[in-house]
Amino acid sequence: MRSHEVIALAAILAAGTGAWGVEAPGKPMKMDEPMHGEMKKKGMKKGDVKKAAEKKGRGMKPMAEKESTGAAKK
Amino acid sequence: MKKRTMETSLADQSPRLIRAIERRLFLKQGLSLGALALLSGCEPTDDEGVQSLLMGMSRWNDRAQGWLFNPNKLAPEYPESAITKPFPFNAFYAESEAPLVDGKDYKLELEGLIREKKPWTLPELYALPQTSQITRHICVEGWSAIGKWSGVRFSDFLARVGADTTAKYIGFECADDYSTSIDMATALHPQTLLTFRFADQILPPKYGFPMKLRMPTKLGFKNPKHITAMFVTNEYPGGYWEDQGYNWFSGS
Repeated sequence: MRSHEVIALAAILAAGTGAWGVEAPGKPMKMDEPMHGEMKKKGMKKGDVKKAAEKKGRGMKPMAEKESTGAAKK
Repeated sequence: MKKRTMETSLADQSPRLIRAIERRLFLKQGLSLGALALLSGCEPTDDEGVQSLLMGMSRWNDRAQGWLFNPNKLAPEYPESAITKPFPFNAFYAESEAPLVDGKDYKLELEGLIREKKPWTLPELYALPQTSQITRHICVEGWSAIGKWSGVRFSDFLARVGADTTAKYIGFECADDYSTSIDMATALHPQTLLTFRFADQILPPKYGFPMKLRMPTKLGFKNPKHITAMFVTNEYPGGYWEDQGYNWFSGS
């Protein structure tokens, strides 16, 4: 086998085994897909984190503003 | 960061202590649940009252762990040769979905019991005195890996912005909508770093660009990545996983 054929074969094998398969970050998150990893309850979806953050933000805002005002007075 | 001791760590002595406390708590919880089930004639499942009781016990557990926390006890540090390569990516989303934060426009927002709330740009943060540590990241899923992180000692940053260090909690909001919070004693621990580099390179998106709070005394899920805001408070802030029932303190 000639050298350029070896290189071409190696490239095909590498692509096939996923050696070049890691996609760059920044793709939009698919919110309705199940969460990755083991640390989850059954049926949890990626979008649950965003919903929880919005709910928590609403709950924490009055407290944060009250404490911020207190800190400014000190 | 200078190595002071290798004997004390989250990986050896303290988990035994925590397990012992958790065993006692488990027995207490079991007894409480048994009594509750007998009184109500219900299965202790998703009942709101039972969940509330369990959350109460978990908060008690947090307080016990807080009392046991030794602010001077250091987690082990390792030589460069011990670094895990490649260091695992771990999040609730795929690596390709890690958020891309624009470093040019980025500003760290400060809220709550902090005197100087001016937002911080990345060049300002990078200009602060930096230190490095090679420590073990321990995941609640059961794996661990050793990595090198560099950044500013968090206690120095808190002093610089005039944070009220008598407050109980510091909460974090992240670009991937994740949130968590920590106790003030851990925030002031000498190995708690606000990190901007991993393996001597600017943090790549998969490891938390632009910044990750690194605490070798806590489990991995307590180490927030892609931090966009932090607040100091006396009101329990919880966090994403903590609100799902994971132990809030989760450290040694």
